[in-house]
Amino acid sequence: MTAPTSASQKLVTAPFRFTVNGQPVEAAVPGGRRLLDVLRLDLGLTGSKEGCGEGECGACSVLLDGEVVDSCLVPVCQVEGREVRTVEGLATGGRLDPLQAAIVEAGGVQCGICTPGMLMAGRAFLDSGNAGAAPTSAAPTDAAIREAIAGNLCRCTGYGRIVEAIRLAAEGRVSTMSAPDAMAVPLAGADRRLLDLGDPEAETPRTLAEAYALLADGGRRPLAGGTDALVERTAGVPGADRYLDLAALDALLGIRVLDGALILGAATTYAELRRDPLIAEHASVLAEMSAEVGAAQIQNRGTLGGNIATASPAGDSLPVLLALDAEIVVGGVRGERTLPAASFFPAYRRTALAADELILRIRIPLVPDRTVAFRKVGTRRAQAISVVVLAVAWRWQNGLWRDVRVALGSVAPTPIRARATEAALEGMPPTARVAAVAAATLAAEITPIDDVRSTAVYRRTVAGRILHRIVRDAAGW
Amino acid sequence: MAHPSGTVIGRSVPRRDAPAKVTGAARYTDDLVVEGAWFGLTVRSTEPHARLLGIDRDPAFDWSRVVVVTAADIPGENVVHLIHDDQPALVADEIRHHAEAVALVAAPDPATARAARAAIHLRTEPLPPVLDLLAAEEAFARYEITKGDLEAGFAEADRIVDGTYRVGPQEHIYIEPQAMIAALEADGGITVTGSLQCPYYIHAALARALALPVDKVRVVQAETGGGFGGKEEYPSMLAVHAALLARAAGRPVRMTYDRHEDIVATTKRHPAVIHHRTGVAADGRLVAQEIDVVMDAGAYATLSPVVLSRGALHATGPYRCPNVRVRARAVMTNTVPAGAFRGFGAPQTEFAAEIHLARIAEALELPAAELRRRLAYREGDVTATGQVLRHSVAAIDVLERAEEVADFAAERAKTAHAREERYADTRRADAPARGMHPGAERIASGVGLALGWHGAGFTGSGEKTLGSVAGIELTADGRIVILTAQTEIGQGAATVLPQIAAEVLGVAAEAVEPAPLDTALVPNSGPTVASRTTMVVGGLVAEAAGKLRAEVEQRTQRPFAESWRDDAAAHGPTRIDVRFEGYPGIEWDQERYRGDAYPAYSWAAAVAWVDVDLDTGQVAVRRVVAVDEAGRVVNPMLAAGQVEGGTLQAVGYATIEEMQVVDGRYRNDRLATYLIPTALDAPAIEAHLVEAPFPHNPHGAKGLGELPMDVGAPAVIDAIHDAIGAWITELPATPARVLAALQALEEERLREPVNEGVS
Repeated sequence: MTAPTSASQKLVTAPFRFTVNGQPVEAAVPGGRRLLDVLRLDLGLTGSKEGCGEGECGACSVLLDGEVVDSCLVPVCQVEGREVRTVEGLATGGRLDPLQAAIVEAGGVQCGICTPGMLMAGRAFLDSGNAGAAPTSAAPTDAAIREAIAGNLCRCTGYGRIVEAIRLAAEGRVSTMSAPDAMAVPLAGADRRLLDLGDPEAETPRTLAEAYALLADGGRRPLAGGTDALVERTAGVPGADRYLDLAALDALLGIRVLDGALILGAATTYAELRRDPLIAEHASVLAEMSAEVGAAQIQNRGTLGGNIATASPAGDSLPVLLALDAEIVVGGVRGERTLPAASFFPAYRRTALAADELILRIRIPLVPDRTVAFRKVGTRRAQAISVVVLAVAWRWQNGLWRDVRVALGSVAPTPIRARATEAALEGMPPTARVAAVAAATLAAEITPIDDVRSTAVYRRTVAGRILHRIVRDAAGW
Repeated sequence: MAHPSGTVIGRSVPRRDAPAKVTGAARYTDDLVVEGAWFGLTVRSTEPHARLLGIDRDPAFDWSRVVVVTAADIPGENVVHLIHDDQPALVADEIRHHAEAVALVAAPDPATARAARAAIHLRTEPLPPVLDLLAAEEAFARYEITKGDLEAGFAEADRIVDGTYRVGPQEHIYIEPQAMIAALEADGGITVTGSLQCPYYIHAALARALALPVDKVRVVQAETGGGFGGKEEYPSMLAVHAALLARAAGRPVRMTYDRHEDIVATTKRHPAVIHHRTGVAADGRLVAQEIDVVMDAGAYATLSPVVLSRGALHATGPYRCPNVRVRARAVMTNTVPAGAFRGFGAPQTEFAAEIHLARIAEALELPAAELRRRLAYREGDVTATGQVLRHSVAAIDVLERAEEVADFAAERAKTAHAREERYADTRRADAPARGMHPGAERIASGVGLALGWHGAGFTGSGEKTLGSVAGIELTADGRIVILTAQTEIGQGAATVLPQIAAEVLGVAAEAVEPAPLDTALVPNSGPTVASRTTMVVGGLVAEAAGKLRAEVEQRTQRPFAESWRDDAAAHGPTRIDVRFEGYPGIEWDQERYRGDAYPAYSWAAAVAWVDVDLDTGQVAVRRVVAVDEAGRVVNPMLAAGQVEGGTLQAVGYATIEEMQVVDGRYRNDRLATYLIPTALDAPAIEAHLVEAPFPHNPHGAKGLGELPMDVGAPAVIDAIHDAIGAWITELPATPARVLAALQALEEERLREPVNEGVS
């Protein structure tokens, strides 16, 4: 790839080449086309289904280099050179995959529309090494299996038989079942190839300099994991008709400790935060938070930088970053700047980022003896956008709380620090009286609204109660 | 190989459709290859009530590339034929609800279709909307059921218990959105292929709107990704739309809704307000039940008259009472029409009946399970419509089985103990200093129980009027094919109906196949609704199979299982069709709403365990024991699957499935905002099947599909009450509602004097 001669030149040009179920394919389509559409329409592989177009139902789940993703949230430009596995590729050599056979035997199929995605999520779990291996190691727990398929909605079965099927497959207790002859689906016969779906074009810069130049040229929406950008498209939010694909920028990757701070590349995914040993050692609250974002499909794709750039008041990571006194390093043609998270979110869904800047990395100062508590309240146990998110950080000093940070999401137009509440706790012992005052202060300090997810009254009440609970749990009374 | 009778029914024969579904080979509507098909979209209203003054096309758009259809282009009558024929396929002059279809566009590609839709503007003049069901004056249906002397009953009562219960709309969330493809035939006819439950509803609707003779209309079902009632009536609308566009475009047209459109425009479970006033004797007998049911039907009648009927007929709960009056109405509001959803009116009224009964038990200081045991219907009891329950009454069986499996009394003792501990803790001298809630626990656990019943098949004389026809054919090439209009929507019809025939024929289940679901091939055996497929149509299939067996054995003088292939080769095809003639002794007076409301009832009890988060009001349903009685079980694995899935839908209905309606518009219009349970939210569900066979069909099955939906929600609400000591009387029990109830209790208790002696 040569350097661009002008900023508007496409840096990755169609056709995109990758493999599907081991077969090389190419798709001469706009780079912003969803992988799901490429599979279903351009390649005629209709096994992957569309149930929502926004990463909620998981019916379109496929494996991308072995990780389960929602193919409705993956632009094809990010599939270039990679391996895609779909339900059509599970059965091999005339035999069903053991998980396919198990789901038939256990009665885990009813209407069947969620089944392909469910199988791919289950297969990713079985292949992950977290599921035990037949027949010697321990079977996976019910909770681990349920978490693995929490990103796949089923409306027919009640899930129990699907969980049982994954357990049977993990334990190797499955009959061999032949795959019916008619099951080999050719990569042909599509009647909807190369349609105009109104897809954005995409450009994939290889260096920050290229990316900055393209951004400075205007009219481009940066895209990392796509878990917000492609949802906006399904929802019909007007935006740029051109994506700036950040996936090839190595500068946005990596987790390291440097000069007394934890440095997280902006493209760090929630899945990486959950499994990285440096996170476990220095900021385990980030792993705890990440476990509650979406489900496997979203955690594998969504990035910390994306959560910051979207700046939703409900963004799960943002109160945590505020509580940790994080700094956000941004860059553009005019150079790099470092901004405190506390001043990064000036208004509803707005950031301090200039239009021609990118988020590069997040810097979290390491503070010895710091405790951080996190609580997300959503309407359900997985795949829920928060109703209230609360992160509280403090240092113990002679039985008193010092350097208290109380940060919240979903209680104001932006993620906020609750300064009055912090003052109520600062330098105080965590007694019931202090907790009650802090809870009341918090309830009075925040400005939540009634919306589609909950009510202002509920948010106000719950914010106080979970703060009270955090103080109580920390103090042990 | 011969399969002697009794060896096919009762066996968990594997699903016929499972291999195709696990390999991705199953073709749902949007998966079908249709060369040259255009893409159809709908232009919808954005107001709840308005006069339509004009449909303007942006002159800047190139209209030569697309087709547009409005009400003026409908060749037949502008109705979606169902019960009242009041709903237009496209608005002609008056917009009566948000997201109502006003015009249609089709284009060769989706981008052009979207651009065309955006270039059409509706000129309207707003009209005042009716949005509150209690303020609505116009009703699509009203019923009154009376039994005994209500006033005399109340006069006899030692106490009167009142209660008002509310339920919101529930969205089906079949994971496959609505989809339909229409294609013109060379003879001027039309064929639609789609995701649907009731091919003959669509068939009639198309003939009517397109002014086509019935033999020029063909309806084919593609693999269907869930229905739950949501694909009972709406697909008729979508089929008419797709057909109109295909006619205009002169080529096939696909219409596949995205999730947003599917939620905003299609039917929901009816919201309702139900009031109970019950006279109770000191010994616990119910002496008077006065029940008022108001359901919000939305802007058009759709199926509301029959949904309301079923709701009213189940409103008493399965309990003896000599004096009853149920008044029910389904009112017109300017909201999106409500429609069929698993349970069909009964989940709403049975929720109210069960919670009310539990509150009566509380007033009597009796365990509710004991009160249920005393009051529940037994054989020979008489329902509110005067129906004498003559057979297969299993209320006590399911109740006792559920109590036994759940070890209910012991579980209740545990939760009562924990509740007392928590309460005592709030009375300690240091309680105020320890914070704002009663007790230190974060979680309160509770266990609850509910009992329910569900009439199987159509209400009253519906089945007789319908006169369903089902058939079986021994083809010339020796295949055994059953012919019904019963759609496979995940519930297992394509497996269970062949199983029933195989049992009668003495052959393996795999030897019998269902005919492709195509109105050109199958007779009208009625819609796939009302838990009627296995019981009613299964009965017809069994009867037809019996006749086929007799005819073949007559000719061959050998058992059918050994001779059918020879007979087919020698004699050619044999086809037997049978028509439903009614069950013996079932009489219904539609005018007076008296008599045998259903040919049989199925029975269910559920026990639910919940954990309530005392900080947030979040409810986690941990475990459900579901005991369901639906006659003889044809396929235990599929039956258990129905119970498990229906139970989870009921758990969602009880807890998190909230659909807010603002100005007649559904606000939770995405899967990110209308939440259904994930695998992590789902309880461990243990399905137990009890059998009390139906005597009036050969295989003894009653209806099962809807039954678990009736009891899940009240069991969960009863469990929440057990946990926190407050009744949630409005579904769903959202965290906000539960927390409000918790706070009210806390405030009450914090006002009580602190007991210095306990610490």
